[in-house]
Amino acid sequence: MSALADKLRGLRRQAGVTAPAPPAPRPALPDNVAALLGVRRRAQAPAPTQRHRAREPDTLPGRSIAPGLQLIEQAHAWPPTPPAFDACFARLAEVIAPERLLLFDTETTGLAGGTGTRAFMIGAADWHQGKLRERQLLITTLGAEAAMLDHFASWLRPDTVLVSYNGKSYDAPLLKTRYRLHQRACPIADLAHIDLLHPVRRRWRGVWENCRLATVERQLLQVVRDDDLPGAEAPAAWLGYLRGGSAAPLQRVAKHNSQDLRSLAGILLRFADHPSAMDATAPR
Amino acid sequence: MNALPNPYAQRAARQDGALAAPVSGGDQLARRLSRRYADRITGSFVLPGREGRYAPLPGDMPPALAHALRSRGIDQLYAHQAHAWEATAAGQHVVIATPTASGKSLCYTLPVISAAIRQQAKALFLFPTKALAQDQVAELLELNQAGELGVKAFTFDGDTPGDARQAIRLHGDIVVSNPDMLHQAILPHHTKWAQFFENLRYVVIDEVHTYRGVFGSHVANVLRRLQRVCAFYGVSPQFILCSATIGNPAEHASALIEQPVTAITDSGAPVGEKHVLLWNPPVVNADLGLRASARSQSNRIARTAIRAGLKTLVFAQSRLMVEVLTKYLKDVFDSDPRKPARIRAYRGGYLPTERRAAEREMRAGQVDGIVSTSALELGVDIGALDVVVLNGYPGSVAATWQRFGRAGRRQQASLGVLVASSDPLDQYLVRHPEFFQGTPPEHARIAADQPLILLDHIRCAAFELPFRHGELFGPQDATPWLEVLAEEGVLYRESERFEWIADSYPANAVSLRSVADGNFVVVDRTEGRQTIVAEVDFSAASLTLYEGAIHMIQSVPYQVEKLDWNGRKAYVTRTQVDYYTDAIDYTKLKVLEAFDGSPAGAGSAHHGEVHVARRVAGYKKIRYYTHENIGYGPVNLPDLELHTTAVWWQLSQRALEQAFDHRQQALDGFLAAAHALHIVATVAVMAEARDLQKAVGSGDGAWFATPDAQGRAQLRSSIGELDMPLQGPFIPTLYLYDAFPGGVGLSAPLYERREDLVRLARELVQRCDCHHGCPACVGPILAADEDGERSLKTLATRVLDLIVAL
Repeated sequence: MSALADKLRGLRRQAGVTAPAPPAPRPALPDNVAALLGVRRRAQAPAPTQRHRAREPDTLPGRSIAPGLQLIEQAHAWPPTPPAFDACFARLAEVIAPERLLLFDTETTGLAGGTGTRAFMIGAADWHQGKLRERQLLITTLGAEAAMLDHFASWLRPDTVLVSYNGKSYDAPLLKTRYRLHQRACPIADLAHIDLLHPVRRRWRGVWENCRLATVERQLLQVVRDDDLPGAEAPAAWLGYLRGGSAAPLQRVAKHNSQDLRSLAGILLRFADHPSAMDATAPR
Repeated sequence: MNALPNPYAQRAARQDGALAAPVSGGDQLARRLSRRYADRITGSFVLPGREGRYAPLPGDMPPALAHALRSRGIDQLYAHQAHAWEATAAGQHVVIATPTASGKSLCYTLPVISAAIRQQAKALFLFPTKALAQDQVAELLELNQAGELGVKAFTFDGDTPGDARQAIRLHGDIVVSNPDMLHQAILPHHTKWAQFFENLRYVVIDEVHTYRGVFGSHVANVLRRLQRVCAFYGVSPQFILCSATIGNPAEHASALIEQPVTAITDSGAPVGEKHVLLWNPPVVNADLGLRASARSQSNRIARTAIRAGLKTLVFAQSRLMVEVLTKYLKDVFDSDPRKPARIRAYRGGYLPTERRAAEREMRAGQVDGIVSTSALELGVDIGALDVVVLNGYPGSVAATWQRFGRAGRRQQASLGVLVASSDPLDQYLVRHPEFFQGTPPEHARIAADQPLILLDHIRCAAFELPFRHGELFGPQDATPWLEVLAEEGVLYRESERFEWIADSYPANAVSLRSVADGNFVVVDRTEGRQTIVAEVDFSAASLTLYEGAIHMIQSVPYQVEKLDWNGRKAYVTRTQVDYYTDAIDYTKLKVLEAFDGSPAGAGSAHHGEVHVARRVAGYKKIRYYTHENIGYGPVNLPDLELHTTAVWWQLSQRALEQAFDHRQQALDGFLAAAHALHIVATVAVMAEARDLQKAVGSGDGAWFATPDAQGRAQLRSSIGELDMPLQGPFIPTLYLYDAFPGGVGLSAPLYERREDLVRLARELVQRCDCHHGCPACVGPILAADEDGERSLKTLATRVLDLIVAL
């Protein structure tokens, strides 16, 4: 603990501030055990004590595609590819071909907003060769953020239509800030963007108890999440890893993000299948 | 038909008599008042009128702007406006410190609008209040309309609706805001303002003299953050600052922006003759130093002036006093409800439409008397006035001049009268006419590197942009501070960078008006209210917010009913009592390290770091005016500790033994001298009285002295029980210390000016009108202490004589 830190702590106490406790260091595992478990060894790396499900491997999800950047790729048969649809439900006067769609969702270090919040994972899904293709980017160092942003930008085309849930208010401005901080042009600023929260609200506000994604999943898609990591715990999972903790919680973050993407696809499908029916009468 | 005669008004008219005969201007009224009330006037002087000095509109000004100016009747500039144009054109940072109503705003409007027209350059204006910001925008819009300049100006503050914000960020050429918004809303979201920052050419900061002490130290750090964000967008904007007249405008401006600044202090605006009277209410009890109320005097002066046909503005210190004085004047002048009102009140808390209506009436000359709080001090255009009466000293010489500046016509002399209240500061100022003449006595000071303030802003800055290892913040290497924040867990260090990783928004936790965030909020519970009416620094809470305390907020008394120490809340209700409360605090200081020292007369003066331990043992109830002690109450709060900076004076045992018969006398003298020094020091550094405190004790912390119920010194060796054993050498020490952990930079300038201070304190004591001592000089004494030889006045003078430079 530095002399300055001691001095400041004293002054803050005198000013009536109850100082936050520094994050508690965790006991280190013996080297041989760590090696056996395949735990990363880092300078001053405290070992994980965080409880995690035994079936999650303590390794990073996906494969490394650049220093500090993981890519997780998978494809699912469900939900199926939607037909070309009229996007009037999202107040876009356009018929949209499914191959233009890019569904996305970010996992961030918090909800505080402003320039201090960042995305550590960007998940995107599109219908590719008849399947829903999911690609998730995960940074494991802060230095890899620029590479993640560039990689995400490479998935976008001028005619891409973004699909999100509350992304117009949250994910898109956040990414815009991150591109700006890395002194890059923002690749999503000029793209069409369907934020499904708005048509869902227009249709079911006052019908369901709220319009959160989990509610929509349950009510509309009859999806029940299995062993889901609550979204609010995602920042801690990533920070824990960054500080030398276990990678296992990141596996769960990736699954959570992947589920979000599939739910996005499911909701979109409902709207795309019945663009006009969804606008007025019975939900199912 | 005449209204029924109002008996009060009739009596007032009789009292005023010939005094109230019509006059042609402030000069005649000044002479008349001076003749009639010579004994109340402690200072009287005339600032001669001056012809304007002009310069043609600059040739390099955009023609559209010149056209706009001409169409608003401006065919030439004042010399200082032209000077400001040249200096800004040469790329200099500028501070303009010319008097009120000298056309300061044009000094920054012209370069800003020119740059907007020519280069689509943007400007950020910072004003301390929303009202000023709105007035400024209105003025910009008028000029813009007059010339069809197409320059867009908007206010951006807490009232700006969310849907307008985006448009302002993108399309505002001139964004008018305040330091708090910059700190909490603009900088932490700077990426949304990217376009604005990329084109930011000018930053205009008005009223910089108000950015001093704790607030100023915060603002200096907000400006560091602003300049850091600007650097990210590749710009380094030029600063144009404005200040009231203070002693160190260039130095202060330069301390705020940490760059060299050119000062423009010589106004070219024409002024009419201005008469100033300093007015001390008559003594009604010389033993107690008791005077008639300022209110009665202000009322009388205003009445006389209005009767004599002069447009008059009275400034009162509180909203309540505005209402009281308005009522007194209305009783005299507005007794007939069928006639339009001649007297108006003006204060914050009225609806904007009411205020605008009052302003219109004043401009149209329909109102003869206005009673206002500081709300009218700045900006608001109310037309020409003849007389300004200040009911009480407004807290700084600079603010006094700003208020006096409200009166003045070119062709006719104006008058300003400062009526002193019984407050020690008022009494000190009113006896020193020289403070209002010649060089301004006040120096605005900041301490931008105050450790807790600095830590708060490095935290906010790290949220805005990552820090590189070794990066400077102001003149400091930020690295050690970043390491502290990394230990706290809000920053994460990766190779050479420190990045924000916490899920929090640090600016929301940093108030620009306090040191650190242990503040207490004061909650008004009167008649079921639940409103926050004030905030009190942690270190002042135990002195002012104990249960039973009478806590003054804007001169309105509240009683503290409940203090929630851990929740940092005090619950108060409005009250009407004839006493105030004074904490009995035991404060013990110990010198930790002297940074500097020098001989001072027969003793020595020092500047350095001290440790302060304080316990509030109870409180006294003291009746107003008579200062009788009418009761005690217990206080049971945790002890406080403080590491801070101080200036102190010491006398050797030998010098003391020669000058005093015994130790008691010497200690009485030290306490009394401390009271006087504290008053003069407060003025010298423009401090709030509570930011700077005084104490008497031993340099090694072995003992300290406090006044007992009789006003005599009592020696204690611990802040607990009363005891008296005293070993070792007797070296009394008089301290003035910064009342915040880590200090706020008040004691260094006090040390620099130590010789002046002692001299001024000595004059203060000697020139006081009381016989043996009073709150205005050496502190309250009891009527019984009438022995001239051992009066506190004599003893204080003896101490001050010993430490005054030879």
